[in-house]
Amino acid sequence: MLSLFGPQQKALCNGVSRRDFLRIGSLAMGGLSLPQLLNAESQNGTKRGFKSVIMIYMCGAPPHQDMWDLKMDAPSEIRGPYKPISTKVPGIRISEHAPRLAGMMDKLVPINSMVGSLSGDHDSFICYTGRPPRGAVQPPGGWPSLGSVVSKLQGQASPAIPSFVGLAPKAGHPPYGSPGHPGYIGPAHSAFRPNGAGMDDLKLNGISMERMQDRKALLQGFDDFRRDVDASGIVGSMDSFNQQAFNVLTSSKLLEALDLSKEDPKVRSRYGKGDPKNYGDGAPLNLEHFLLARRLVEAGARVVTLNFGRWDFHDNNYPQLLRHLPLFDQGMSALVQDLHDRGLDKDVAVVAWGEFGRTPIVNKQGGRDHWPRVGNALLAGGGFKTGQVIGKTDKLGGEPTERAVHFGEVFSTLYKFLGIDTNKTTIDDLSGRPQYLVDGWSAMPELI
Amino acid sequence: MQRLGISALFIAIALAARGDERPLNFANDIVPIFTKAGCNSGGCHGKASGQNGFKLSLLGFEPQEDYEHIVREARGRRVFPAAPNESLLLTKAINSTPHGGGKKLDAKSDEYGILIKWISSGMPYGKDTDPKMIAIEVQPTEKVMTLKTNQQLKVLAKYSDGYVRDVTRSALYEPNDKSMAEVGEAGLVKLYDLPGDVAVMIRYQGKVAVFRATAPLGAPVEKLPASRNFIDDLVFNKLKQLGLPPSDTADDNTFIRRVTIDVAGCLPTPAETQAFISDGNPKKREAVLDRLLASDEYADYFAGKWSALLRNKRSDPKDARGNFAFHQWIRDSLYDNMRYDQFVREVITARGDMASHPQVAWYRQAKDMTIQMEDTAQLFLGQRLQCAQCHHHPFEKWSQQDYYGFSAFFSTVARKASANLGEDIIFTKRAEAQAVNLRTKQPVKPTGLGSATLALAPDDDPRESLADWLGSKDNPFFAKALVNRYWKHFFNRGLIEPEDDMRETNPPSNPELLNALAKSFIASGYDLKQLIRTITQSTTYQLSAVPNGHNAVDRQNFSRYYPKRLQAEVLLDAVNNVLAAQSSFEGLPAGTRATALPDNSFNSTSYFLTVFGRPEGSSACECERTQESSLAQSLHLLNAPDIQKKLTDDKGRAALLAADASRSDEAKLVEIYQWVASRQPSPQQVKLGLEHLNRHTAGKTGPELLAAKRQAYEDLLWALINTKEFLFNH
Repeated sequence: MLSLFGPQQKALCNGVSRRDFLRIGSLAMGGLSLPQLLNAESQNGTKRGFKSVIMIYMCGAPPHQDMWDLKMDAPSEIRGPYKPISTKVPGIRISEHAPRLAGMMDKLVPINSMVGSLSGDHDSFICYTGRPPRGAVQPPGGWPSLGSVVSKLQGQASPAIPSFVGLAPKAGHPPYGSPGHPGYIGPAHSAFRPNGAGMDDLKLNGISMERMQDRKALLQGFDDFRRDVDASGIVGSMDSFNQQAFNVLTSSKLLEALDLSKEDPKVRSRYGKGDPKNYGDGAPLNLEHFLLARRLVEAGARVVTLNFGRWDFHDNNYPQLLRHLPLFDQGMSALVQDLHDRGLDKDVAVVAWGEFGRTPIVNKQGGRDHWPRVGNALLAGGGFKTGQVIGKTDKLGGEPTERAVHFGEVFSTLYKFLGIDTNKTTIDDLSGRPQYLVDGWSAMPELI
Repeated sequence: MQRLGISALFIAIALAARGDERPLNFANDIVPIFTKAGCNSGGCHGKASGQNGFKLSLLGFEPQEDYEHIVREARGRRVFPAAPNESLLLTKAINSTPHGGGKKLDAKSDEYGILIKWISSGMPYGKDTDPKMIAIEVQPTEKVMTLKTNQQLKVLAKYSDGYVRDVTRSALYEPNDKSMAEVGEAGLVKLYDLPGDVAVMIRYQGKVAVFRATAPLGAPVEKLPASRNFIDDLVFNKLKQLGLPPSDTADDNTFIRRVTIDVAGCLPTPAETQAFISDGNPKKREAVLDRLLASDEYADYFAGKWSALLRNKRSDPKDARGNFAFHQWIRDSLYDNMRYDQFVREVITARGDMASHPQVAWYRQAKDMTIQMEDTAQLFLGQRLQCAQCHHHPFEKWSQQDYYGFSAFFSTVARKASANLGEDIIFTKRAEAQAVNLRTKQPVKPTGLGSATLALAPDDDPRESLADWLGSKDNPFFAKALVNRYWKHFFNRGLIEPEDDMRETNPPSNPELLNALAKSFIASGYDLKQLIRTITQSTTYQLSAVPNGHNAVDRQNFSRYYPKRLQAEVLLDAVNNVLAAQSSFEGLPAGTRATALPDNSFNSTSYFLTVFGRPEGSSACECERTQESSLAQSLHLLNAPDIQKKLTDDKGRAALLAADASRSDEAKLVEIYQWVASRQPSPQQVKLGLEHLNRHTAGKTGPELLAAKRQAYEDLLWALINTKEFLFNH
């Protein structure tokens, strides 16, 4: 009856309906203790007990042909000034401004043929939902993002750590500051945002721990509401969340995960700091977010999203790239190495991408404009078959020529990695219609 | 009669069905195999894009297309008559050729045998004159069952030539309440231990049937509270049948808090509670409704509900004027108790500009014919038609023809820009009202659901005809949808769940009651306030939430009141009441209550409203308001700076109580409890409170004492707003 990994298949429409949510909500998230949950998951054959995804949204769409897919045979107005370098994997060459990533190419998979953006409009939407951007027709309530889906289907892996954490601070262009929307799944499964309103709730506000304990005892004394008046499970789940909230406040596991001073200085310096200020109307180039993401998945988060920079280089492509790419190289390589060092590389998948690619021809302002026909992605961890490149583009970097990969295929791959069967699992939208998690895409055989 | 006929026939045939020698027909004999095995489900080959190059129509609704894909596509390699068991169709199905979907059929199964026979006989499609399946029937259709027992269903398909076949093994089964029963693939219903009714939907090739099980608890129902109206007669009748004794009637304190929250969306003040308790009028529970239904708070509260359902959403700052005007119109209509049929008419037939006709705001969000029609069906008729846009509704009788016929009412809605940006003028263009059926490509004229095509004169606004059809006494859905929606508002569970999914295959838990409520609502002239009065004056509504020895498990028969967490806005206002605080909302006067907010735009600046699930007005579904609990909610109420600020405010309740030397601490505790729970604290609770105060103030004097006392009251108030007695309406 209870399924932690989404309901069992019957022929149709057996999704997590609103009727079921209490059962799943109260049991999977509240009613089961952590050891029970971990036990249930370990029976599913995962080593750490649960799997996590770190998704890095490179706001504004990075220039694909200046990163992992340099076009040295193209005319100079397309090719640009930078050279490719060899990597750890013979035959794979990437930009000279990502030397650290080059040195660990055996742990990475560039996908050079990402497709799926319909309009070329800026949005985190396709990166976080795998669905075309917001202008397209959506079901009532809107498409949910990866983190909300996982939060809904799998609940919390640790009682003091939210399932879905979004590190993106607010940005001048709102979609660049979005950690992914809950859509029709609803706000109970929206991202926990450590720099948003909820962050203030994590630390005691003007009262001591002793007084909070005193208050807690007082609450227990007064709270004599009979549990058996509620057969729906909501009272039980509320009690359980209250208990978790006290855990968060007293054990401060979440605050500790967010506290980088607890980290080994050597590891910290490997990640570096970057720049915590927002880059224009985009996200910050904050390398500490990469480290926070690792600390959070280690502590129990299932999905952590972070938004990085503002790659919308309509002018001065190269100077701006020189600001972005070396920092990304440092943060991403530190994260991937760290996951391997800690034995988390099979349990944590990392995806870094933007919403589309950029024009082959450099414009008069030295920039590259929107190019929805092809873009790229960089994957790591997840137990994926790394050390290979997936997909090819033509010699101008303008069209995919081999193995075009839709965002939905990467989502299918991530769901499969997380133990969620996209052929069977549905979640009802606000009209009650069961919606599949991806639009008919399958997990990528090249990766799994 | 017909059922008897089929049964007799069925006996006569004695189930020679399987193994009979009727010639195979693709639609009748082959497609059901794919449906049962899940090959043509929406997750596999049935999705619009197919799967790995092989596409089937969703659930086999289009056999002709399926035939093309199987027999002619892929250069015919899917079927191989010379060696049928080498056919890709079969080797994939039994997974002897690697199949993404795994093994779907057993090579020893009857289904496999039928496929072999079909392929070896040259894949006949069948003739146009072959009998067609016209109906399915389940046996039995209803049964009173003992808890934790099983019932085997039998499903019969009836064909146009009178032939009847047992399709039990091929049909699909789904219970409407999975916490009550499960159904095995071969139609075995297993009841769990929850009493009540459960319906099992049975589907076979686009036809549906339903089996209803009633599972009594069988406890003695000796004393029933007095019946106060027809609701009680019908509810109690059902409880007697189920052997489910109702709880006692709730006391006055419980009632006044419950009804004030449910009708006016706010806590009763201590003075209101006191006046009600000391009122000697035996009819005071009726009388209080007069006050509540005439209040501003009633209009605000229900306007909030309707405003979200009618998509009064701020998508852009320039929408504000229309949002305020539409909310005001909704609120005034409810305050004045406009007839519900008129209310609906004024929304769906809205025309003109925003200033003079604020109802056109609905058309601002319901942009196209699809949304206008689907919202109308879901919101006003409890019919979810979305599925039928692209294929026959899998659970319902609605076809694409029905979908487009109903859409056609909105086909002549047009808009043009006004002087104010974002405020289109809505009008009806002069054109023939029709919508094109996506599949047949044929135009369909405006047709009410399940009724005949309406005759319209060229100058008629089809939307007026639609409003006429909705509000006509014979409309089978309109009144029921509303009474079920309102019933759920008060009882936390619809007679049909979800409240806007009223399918034949999702029957009400008490059909007689739903019918009687609808009849009463129509007879009252679609009077919303009268409906609320009827509901709240029933003994059923006034039952205690506290279970007796038997009915704790009841979740659908209203043998007691089911508690519900206060909605986001109500909770915020209630917290402010208890703490003598206010919330401020940008651009609105200080002291504006959260229940009176005109639209969703305030959610983005109030984390409280967001985290407790206030809807965004982006759909016609009540489910957009989420009552789910979450860690973020708990953290917020236990520890938010905003709550802490209210607790410690110099003008807040804690400061006031600490500084008040005219009353005893006990009297102050009573006042707090009157706000929090509309009742006197128990002696135990007084003791607990006094002990806390004494512990913190012992040995202190002067300003130190005052500060300690104030802190101690902050703690008490903090604890009480986190009790479930406060957080729930019960």
